[in-house]
Amino acid sequence: MKARIAIFLVLGVAVILLPLIAPPVMNNMILRVGSLVMLAISWNLAANAGLISLGHSAFWGLGSYAALLVANKLGWPFFASLIPAMIVGAISAAAIAVITGRLKGIFFAISMLALSECLRVIAVMTPGFTGGGAGVFIDQALRPSTQTVAMVTAFCAVACGFIAYWISLTPFHYACRAMRNNESAAEMLGINPLRFRIAVLSLSGAMASLAGGVNIWYSGFLDPMIGFDLHVTILAQIAPILGGIHTLAGPIIGAFATIGLSEATRILLGEQGVSLLVYGLILVFSILYMPKGIVGTWNTWVQYRSRGAASAKVGTTKAAPL
Amino acid sequence: MSLFWQCLVDSLLLGGLYSLMSIGLSLGFGVTRIINFAHGEMIMFGAYGAYFGSVLLGVDPLLSLPLVAILVAVTAAVVFKALIEKVLDAPHINQILLLFGISLALQNVAAILWTGDARSVSTPYSLTAFEFETLLVPHGRVIAFATAVVLIVALFCWLRFSELGRATRAVAENGQAATLMGINVSRMYMLSFGINAALGAATGAISAFLLTITPFMGFHMLIKAFAIVVLGGLGSVTGTILGAFALAFAETWVSYYVPEGNGWAEGVAFVVLLCVLIIRPKGILGQAVAVH
Repeated sequence: MKARIAIFLVLGVAVILLPLIAPPVMNNMILRVGSLVMLAISWNLAANAGLISLGHSAFWGLGSYAALLVANKLGWPFFASLIPAMIVGAISAAAIAVITGRLKGIFFAISMLALSECLRVIAVMTPGFTGGGAGVFIDQALRPSTQTVAMVTAFCAVACGFIAYWISLTPFHYACRAMRNNESAAEMLGINPLRFRIAVLSLSGAMASLAGGVNIWYSGFLDPMIGFDLHVTILAQIAPILGGIHTLAGPIIGAFATIGLSEATRILLGEQGVSLLVYGLILVFSILYMPKGIVGTWNTWVQYRSRGAASAKVGTTKAAPL
Repeated sequence: MSLFWQCLVDSLLLGGLYSLMSIGLSLGFGVTRIINFAHGEMIMFGAYGAYFGSVLLGVDPLLSLPLVAILVAVTAAVVFKALIEKVLDAPHINQILLLFGISLALQNVAAILWTGDARSVSTPYSLTAFEFETLLVPHGRVIAFATAVVLIVALFCWLRFSELGRATRAVAENGQAATLMGINVSRMYMLSFGINAALGAATGAISAFLLTITPFMGFHMLIKAFAIVVLGGLGSVTGTILGAFALAFAETWVSYYVPEGNGWAEGVAFVVLLCVLIIRPKGILGQAVAVH
């Protein structure tokens, strides 16, 4: 166990230091993968508790706007601005958790979709505050080097990974799983669904907002269409689905796979419409033929092989652990 | 005072379009218990169908409407059989994500085929209007309203009096009992999904001469349709119509009476949706829908 944690720690530090040695062009890639890892872990956390978000761009956009506004209006620097970004994400997520109450599944998905669109309309309609539809640049004097932003992204992504790992060791994880499978039964066993829902969504919202907050410092420009882009929502769900929903490694593997696929389609086919079409097809394909994602399919395959070997030796089969 | 009447007339006419837009979604959900996230894309395909009918063949959108609706319905039924039927018993998450994926794919197929350019159909009646003193009633909107009313009445008659319509209602009420009565439930699912698509395409065809057509128009209409269906109560077709008029009134009122109302009107649907979810999640006329 300790050895495993040590390996993770070393890997984590290596990832964080990567921008120092990698060529500058890689910064963009590190930023994209890192942000998507955060988004995917965040989405998967909510999904673990049975909450399917179709509006992660809401948190992303809130984080971006929070970071941008404290920088432009109050002159907060890069690192400090990430804290309000996270807080705004966590608070709005907690509010959504309370508002949607016991509603799950479809209702939750739809209200997240609506929330994201609602925020976009508000951002367009309040130009005095947000810069409106014309968009706004972040204070150039405050902007750190892209290398710093890439390092921070890598750090945040690794931190999110550790949080997800840590949660998977606590009873919290099992409470979430119980809620996902049967909320009434979980309630009868003494789990207060609302409290867990608020906790899990706040954490998820904070992670997604953090990703948005970091990204605005990299891109430097924000308008409502970028902040509350449906694209973010789509990416946030594709990565965990492709990698393996409800697993620890799934969102991370999925994030790499998704960025890889999007780069491949961009190089091979060009237009952006094509990559979105590919995302749609991946979603359809994964749900129908690979609902457990890359990780789940790999596990099944490994089990199948080891079971084949074991049954040849002992002639028994063991039940597949979840 | 004239502003008041103008507002009232406008919201009534818009309510007709909204009813047609969301009734298919409501019916489809009532029967299959699946929220059709690709409903907006059916509207979009309907609109493109009418557009190409008008531009390439010179056919009026109202004349191409039946053909476009049938084409979209058949395609939707095939998609249902090939993809959606497989997740009917799967967890909600699979259903939602599958439909979302289909919607995304269709949107971008359209964007690749027909580019993202905004288009619109001009008909002899799109720019003319009845004028009563200060009151202005555009012909296009009246025609759209009349078409919507005809189609909705036809739908109600079909549901009420035809054998298949009765079977559809039976399946919506209790799928298992319907199976025991000898109704082929999986065929009814496909049929109602097809009708859902046909109504969506019909909405698209009449909005072709009212709105701008883009590959991404469906998404906004989908969210409005969601708001309407949730407001009226999931699964209640009558509730949906009430919800449609309520949303139309709210939007028109906001755009007439609130400063910069046109922009804010876009957000009314989301506010309505969130409010309904807080105050009365089963909507105006909703039955208690089990949500797992």
